[in-house]
Parts: sequence; C-alpha cells; structure tokens
Amino acid sequence: MDHKRTELGENIGFTSFADKKFNTCFLCVYMITEMNKETVSDYAVANSITSTVNSRIRTIAAMNEQLSELYGAHLDSYANRRGDMQFLTLSGSWLSNRFAIEGEDITEKMLEIITDCLFEPLFDEDIFKLSKKNILDCIDAEFNDKREYTLKKARSIAFKGEPAENSSCGTRESAEAVTTDSAREAYKRLMETAQIEIMYVSPDDDPRVAELFRERFARVERRSKAYSFYAPSPLKPSPELLTEEFDVRQAKIALNFKYDSSDTDAMHLMCIILGGTPVSKLFMNVREKLSLCYYCACRMNEFKNTVVVDCGVEKANIEKAETEIIRQLDEIKNGNITDEELQSALLALENSYSSFGDTPGSYVSWYFDCICKNRYITPIEHMEELFAVTKERIVEAAKTVKLDSTYRMLNKEAE
Amino acid sequence: MSTREIITCKRTGDTCVYVKHKSGLDILIREMPGFSSVYALFGTKYGSINTTFKLAADKEYTEVPNGIAHFLEHKLFENEDCGVFELFARTGAQCNAYTSFDKTCYLFSCTKNYTENLRILLDFVQKPYFTKENVDKEQGIIGQEIRMTNDNPEWRVLFNMLRCMYHAHPVQIDIAGTEESIAKIDADLLYKCYDTFYNLNNMTLSIAGNISVDEVLAICDEMLRPCADKGLETVFPDEPADIVQAEIREKQPVGASIFQMGYKCAPCKENFFKKEMTATLAMSYISDASSDMYLKLLSEGIINNTFGGEIFAGDGFFSAIFSGESESPEKVRDAIAAEVRRIIAEGIDERVFSRIKKALYGGYVRQLNNVTAFASIMINAHMAGCKPFDPVDIVSELTAADALEFIRNELTEDKIVLSVIEKM
Repeated sequence: MDHKRTELGENIGFTSFADKKFNTCFLCVYMITEMNKETVSDYAVANSITSTVNSRIRTIAAMNEQLSELYGAHLDSYANRRGDMQFLTLSGSWLSNRFAIEGEDITEKMLEIITDCLFEPLFDEDIFKLSKKNILDCIDAEFNDKREYTLKKARSIAFKGEPAENSSCGTRESAEAVTTDSAREAYKRLMETAQIEIMYVSPDDDPRVAELFRERFARVERRSKAYSFYAPSPLKPSPELLTEEFDVRQAKIALNFKYDSSDTDAMHLMCIILGGTPVSKLFMNVREKLSLCYYCACRMNEFKNTVVVDCGVEKANIEKAETEIIRQLDEIKNGNITDEELQSALLALENSYSSFGDTPGSYVSWYFDCICKNRYITPIEHMEELFAVTKERIVEAAKTVKLDSTYRMLNKEAE
Repeated sequence: MSTREIITCKRTGDTCVYVKHKSGLDILIREMPGFSSVYALFGTKYGSINTTFKLAADKEYTEVPNGIAHFLEHKLFENEDCGVFELFARTGAQCNAYTSFDKTCYLFSCTKNYTENLRILLDFVQKPYFTKENVDKEQGIIGQEIRMTNDNPEWRVLFNMLRCMYHAHPVQIDIAGTEESIAKIDADLLYKCYDTFYNLNNMTLSIAGNISVDEVLAICDEMLRPCADKGLETVFPDEPADIVQAEIREKQPVGASIFQMGYKCAPCKENFFKKEMTATLAMSYISDASSDMYLKLLSEGIINNTFGGEIFAGDGFFSAIFSGESESPEKVRDAIAAEVRRIIAEGIDERVFSRIKKALYGGYVRQLNNVTAFASIMINAHMAGCKPFDPVDIVSELTAADALEFIRNELTEDKIVLSVIEKM
C-alpha cells in the first residue's frame, strides 16, 4: 500500500492510498469546523444538500439515474462531531473501472459528480426543504435507539456548557430555524474557513484526483485555520445525576468519568481491561457473574478526557450495577490487573490494528484519526507504543479517573 | 473420503473451494491474497423457527420452547474448564455468535494465529457443557437481552408484521423467545437440541481471508469428529396462503414513527437465489428513487431518505418488505399498491430495468472484496442450497419479464400487511 499526504492549499490536505487488492474506489472529503450551537444545524442541512443534487445534475431523479448507471455508485454525506469540533463529510464510493461491463470510465464520472456537488451545490428551495426535513427526521429518530439516546444524554450532562454538548445535527429548534439563505451562507463560510481533508483510496495511484481538487480549490477564497480537537472537559465539583422516565421495558444507565492523565495509551488499555472485550472486568462481573445485564461496556473519548460506561439493566438493579461498575474500576486503581487481562487487552488491540487496510474505510478512518490527534503514526507504530505500557502506568492513569455525572433512563412500568 | 470442487465466478473470475468433508461437514474456503484478516463461521441449520423436529429413529416429533436455539447459542460459550471468550482472548481473536430464524453461527475474526483460532472454534462447538447452574445463570442475561430488543422499535415493527402475516409458521416468534418461554429451558432440553441439530451433516464451515486451503483442511481433518447422518426432519405447521390481519399499530416511546409494509409471498422451494434476486429487482424497480411514485411521496413529506425495500425469506417463508419512517404510512401503502397496479398494466420500462440491474450487479461485485461479507455470503448461500457467486451470474441473466411475473403473481393486495410503530 502506498500512502502519501500533500497540501493542496491553505489547510487543505489530500491523502491518497493505492491498494491493488480493492475492486472499489472511495473518496471522502472532511470539512472541519468549530462546533457551535448557532451554526451546527445550518452546516448539517447545507452538507446534506451536497450529496443530493448539484448545479449540473439538478434533480433527485437525475442524480439517482446517474449513480445507478454507474453500477450503483454511492454518494453520501453526514454530520459528526469529535472533541469540540463538528465535521461534515461528503463521500463517494464506486466500482473500479475494470469491472465495468460496458467499459465506462466510472471513476472519471464519479469525480466529476463529487466535485460538482462540493464546489457547485444547488441551494434550490425544494431540495433545501427535503434536506431540512431529513435532518429534522434524523434528530427525531435519535430517540428511537434507546442506547444511543442514553449516550447522547450522558454527553449532554458531561459536557454541559461546552461545544461538545451539542449533537451533530443540533436540536429540533435549531434545525427548524435554518433557512435556504442561512444554509447557503453557512456552506460558503464552510468552504472558505473549514480545515479540509480529502482522502482517496483506489486500486491504482491516480495523480489527476489531487490535481482536480487543487485546481477547484484554487478558485475558493480561503481564510482558514487548522483546528485542535483536544478540549479537556472539567470535572464537576460533585457528581451530577440526570434521570428521565419513559414507557420502556429496560432501564439504561451511563456513567461519565473524567480523567486527569496525559498517558493516553495507558488510559486506552485501562478502558479495554475495564469494559472493552468479552473478558473485561465489566463483562465478566456485571454480566457473567451477577447476571445483571446483557451489555456493559466502556468507551473512551480522549479529546474530552472522558470515559463512559453504559449498561441496560432492571430498574431494581441500577444501584447494584453502578456499585459494581465503580468497584471494578477501583480494582484497577488498586492494581488488581492480572497478566492475562493485560495480555488479552493488548492482543485484542493488536488484532484490531492488524486488520487495518482490509477495507477502504479502514485507511480513511485511521488517518482521519491521526489528523484529529495531529500525530501521524502507523497502526504498527502505535501498537509498539501500547506494548510498552506497564501495569503501573495503567494503575497511575486509572487513579485519576473520577465520576463526573450519571444519566439514568428509567422504565415507568417497573414502579 | 473428502471431495473438493473449485467454484468460479463467470463474470469476475473470482474463485472459492467447496469441500464435502468425510466427517459430513460442508466446507467453503476462499483464499484472499493481500488481506490481513481471517473471518470464519461455523454454523448449523438451526434457528428460532426449528421448534418441531425428529430424527429417523424417533417415533414422535419433539416440540421445544420458543427461544431455545438462541439460548443454546449462549450456553455453548461455556466449556467445562473455562469460558470460550477466554480461549479466544489468549489469541487476540474476536469471537461472537448469532442466531437467526433458520441458522446459528459461531464466528471469529483475527489477523494472527488463525489455525489456532480455527481449532478453538471447531472444538468448542463440538463440545457442549450444560448444567443446571449455568443454565439458570443465563436466564437473567437473556431476559435483559429480550427486554432490550423489545425496546427496539425496528424489532417490534418487524415481529408485529410477521404475527399479522403468518398464522402458524414459527417465523412470527421472537428469536430469543420470551422470559416465560426461556424459563422452561433446562440442560436436558439443550442436550436434546444439540444432539439433533449440531450434527456435522447439518452444518457448514465458511472461512475467508488470509488463509491456505490446505491448512484449513488439515485442521478440519484433525478436529472434526465424524458423524452419522441421523435423518433429521424438521416440520412446520401448515401455513395458509392468506394473511392474519392487514394492519397493526403499536404506540411506543419513539421520536420518529416507523413502518414496515410487507407482501406475503409463496415460500421458495427451489432456485432460492433466483427468486430472491428476481424479487429484489422487482422491489428496486417499484421503489426506484427516480420513479414518479417515490418522488411524489418524498416531495409531499410522506417518506424520507430512510425509505427502502428488502426481501425477507427462509425455510417456509418469503415476503417483500418496504420500510422507513413516516407519519402517514397508510399513504405509502396505498401508493405502493397503486404503483404495482400501474406496473402490471403498463409493463416494465426496459431502460430503467437495465439500470437497476447494473446497480445490483455493482453491489454484489463490491461484496466479493470484503473478507467478512464474503465469508457470510458463502455460508448463507450454501445453507440456501446455492453457490456463493450465483448472485453475480444470475443478475445478468434476469429479464424484465421475470420481474413482471413476480410482481403480477406475488404482490397481490390481499396479502399486504402494514405494521406501524407510532409515537405515544
């Protein structure tokens, strides 16, 4: 695999990966900006428009016809967040030319479509209404998935008053307030000020792709800056609790912890040992030993120095589960980590890191992560660092972990 | 004596190997040069619908509690000495399992030590260990899984629809059963089900990625214990062709109302992939995002970009389901029914049909390039009595007349069920 990153302009990076084993091409444009509750929905709606039509392909019907003629090529956009930043993506994936039955140049057509979507979006009133509705529906549907909703509410209390408290598409109210003009303005601002990262994965190196973007971006008046994704979140003076009650069958809890350690690798391993695998302390104790739940897992947000543990549980067992989660964390703080636990955490990570490169998406997500961390490193290099972490470092990192806040979703019928 | 056959995709030239192993097991293997990972599935044709069965030596059929196939899947992860997760943790592999309507599969993915992981997989699935204590312990865990899935509106909308579609076929039963039904499960029943369905003659191994065919087969020779074919017979109650009721609505705490609208079709007895792909093409044609029907529903705000269709089919059941978010699902149902009538009257536009075929072809070819997806394709195809590359080859042979025939014969208005999960 060949991998190279070049600067196409002011804060515009282009990274390409050539890997002959793939039969597809994948291109993803990231637009990174500050998360701000005043603009978050404008950006989400505007970005949604870019994957729907463009100034040359002006209707949904025409766009769909083009994409299906190109062997079911995909065009997609989404809004996401990391740290205190919002990022918007426009991506496309398509079959490599060598599989085109009728000899079409699928790549050339798709590059044309994507660059037209990016540089010549169509802020037509009808398309705007549809895109806005899609974003509103997306916001409403966040409550359909109770686990995701639990994690979202947990974030909102952990990061109260910080940009990271916002959802990727904003709230229903902020999305309702978006107008065609505000979306158009937001998109113009985004193209001028966002940090842009373009990633392209294909079977063969194709220099015309970088040149195409260089040439198109040269026509945009840029006044951008590179952003930092790290925005540590302060620990609350005392742990806060937010409770909501719904007509659900299972209660859910999410515990936010914050840490004060710069040893990210040690913290990463701490999380795997605590609740990252089916042999982790939470799985083996909260699920297997106490039979309290089906899932109990831990994830880390290194940009916000936060660890969150979530679990689906009987309402009557909530306190028992919370006590056990904290007891298992204390076990790590007290140095009770077996050699097997450390070894299996490392092997699980190694397994995950070694599969890097098996999908086009794995290249893109790894190097986007490097950009967010402002640290370019290969999976193998990172693995070597992780293998150097000692039990003592994990314990020291764990000792800084403190409960910040808890979200509980309760079921009414259990009362 | 094992037999070996190389299966080739006519269109792309990709190959995989099928082996009928001397133990009775069917094995599908695909070496994928350049990939780092390995994905393996060891599965049995035993899912939630297989609630009534007998072996050739049995006089009577045995009926078992709902959810037992799924319960068995959980319990197979415990060995006499230690948990299976711990064995895989020592190698770094990720392991898991799933139970569907008609199969149970145990799987691992890894990038190193695949031979050792394959040994663990083949060993633990052939070595059940059920006790009263470990069965009792699992009740609480699965009880929580059942509650979790019952809070999942996508799950509820599907099972509500299936209950309205099928009178007697067990596809309408929740895969995990209910808290009441799993309370009836004990170690003896689990052994009975295990001995019946976990016979290598009823099982398939599928493995793809950074592997060698010869290494895989050597491990199979070493680990597989030959099984006599005991003449397994599963039966389903007679299922009438008509539906139970045309509509069901349930209020749930959701942010967006969702629906599934399904046509009950005749179950497929042979050429499963051909019927499934004909149906997929027909549905893609009906719900094509360039069609007048789609654009009208979209512009009126009745559907959004979650709208789509899929085929839901297996042993004794086959339905064509349209789904999405909508606050007016009855309007979607009526529009689709009207579109079906229009297509039957006016026929299929060859140009549009050809474009949809190209899109479907592209989707299948892409999956050949993914270790996980292809290993799954191999086991699913084989258990459905087909070959893994059949979709790529069949799609190019299907005609607009095939799709029209499916629409005319199968998508009849008296077989429509609309299931809705509404906001409270």
